[in-house]
Amino acid sequence: MPETFPGVKFDSHGVCNHCRRRRKIAEEGGGKRDHYIEKFENIIKKSRGNAPDYDVIMAFSGGKDSSYTAKLLKEVYGLRILALTFDNHFISPVAMENIQTVTDNLGIDHLMVRLPWRNARSLFNLASENDIFSKPTLLRASTICTACIGLVKSIVLKTALEKRIPLVAFGWSPGQAPVQSATLKNNPAMVESSQRSFMNALPEKMRKEFAPFFIDNSLLRLNPEIYPYNIHPLAFCHYDESEIKDALTRIGWVKPSDTDSNSTNCLLNAFANQCHIERHGYHPYVWEIANMVRQGIMSRQEGIDKIYVQQNPVLVDYAKSKLMD
Amino acid sequence: MKDKIKVFVVETFLFGEGDELSEDTSFLNEGIIDSTGVLELVDFIEEEFGVTVEDDELVPDNFDSIEKIENYLKNIKLRA
Repeated sequence: MPETFPGVKFDSHGVCNHCRRRRKIAEEGGGKRDHYIEKFENIIKKSRGNAPDYDVIMAFSGGKDSSYTAKLLKEVYGLRILALTFDNHFISPVAMENIQTVTDNLGIDHLMVRLPWRNARSLFNLASENDIFSKPTLLRASTICTACIGLVKSIVLKTALEKRIPLVAFGWSPGQAPVQSATLKNNPAMVESSQRSFMNALPEKMRKEFAPFFIDNSLLRLNPEIYPYNIHPLAFCHYDESEIKDALTRIGWVKPSDTDSNSTNCLLNAFANQCHIERHGYHPYVWEIANMVRQGIMSRQEGIDKIYVQQNPVLVDYAKSKLMD
Repeated sequence: MKDKIKVFVVETFLFGEGDELSEDTSFLNEGIIDSTGVLELVDFIEEEFGVTVEDDELVPDNFDSIEKIENYLKNIKLRA
């Protein structure tokens, strides 16, 4: 963690307060991992085969983590999957090929939802120049990423409700969604609150433009029982980046060479990181990467290599120019 | 009870910077906690206060502020 990360304090050994706290939590609560695994497996078992068409809808970016999640859901858990990709106009060409290759090779149905370019550009320009969301959100992601993932989460959930799909899956790393946060039963009240918080950050005109992405009153009035579970399967597997990449190459996935070190799908990510670093003095991935180092998923050096590196200037300029056009 | 909850929220989600957090500050409206964060909060509440939070109890009325959490916990104790 850098000295510039909000609230960070180092002891005489150079260990920060977040590491000390997380270590304490792990020592006290390590036994609950089995409980969470059991809960997750019960949810899968209850959901498998009971819905009309699909057991799970997943937010599918074509990146490493969501591709591996798709593979797990299909090959390990035996679920009927609908993959949904949100095209924010910055999917790398290699990632786009990966989307097609992985869904074809796994035999997964696939939906693509694409914003009109003028709407995407307005949103990302707004987010690149202003911290439109609350301060705590900045500790975990850039404003641009928060804007984008907010739309992704909403459209995936909305589609799940419309199609009566009982599970919504995300390919979040264990650093983003640790095991105790990896299953959540959605409910209308929580969805409405979260949604309102996101929409309130946008200007009035944008709220109307993005309204179709959000859950309307007819869906908010549905019986809470039919609201799906959010699941993050990567929290429950052995997570090793190089093993994951090897497994993915066997289903035709190709590691993109056209993205930055923190993304395997998005050409906006480097610019989003750069904006955040310039405004706040720390990399927006530092919290997630630090979690992965603490959990032993990544070495400290690997984490440092991902965070303390200049953002690729070609990618930063590409996104900046595209948004200015 | 409120103090323990506040300390947890400030340390876990605000990274020590909790001067503006009052008992009735809405976690969701202020973006302090999102859908994954609320589960970390639930995990803490279950461990710290020895309760089991059912899925259908995970609503803003029970968890969206320090005050609401305290009221939820008091109601559970009354029911027990």
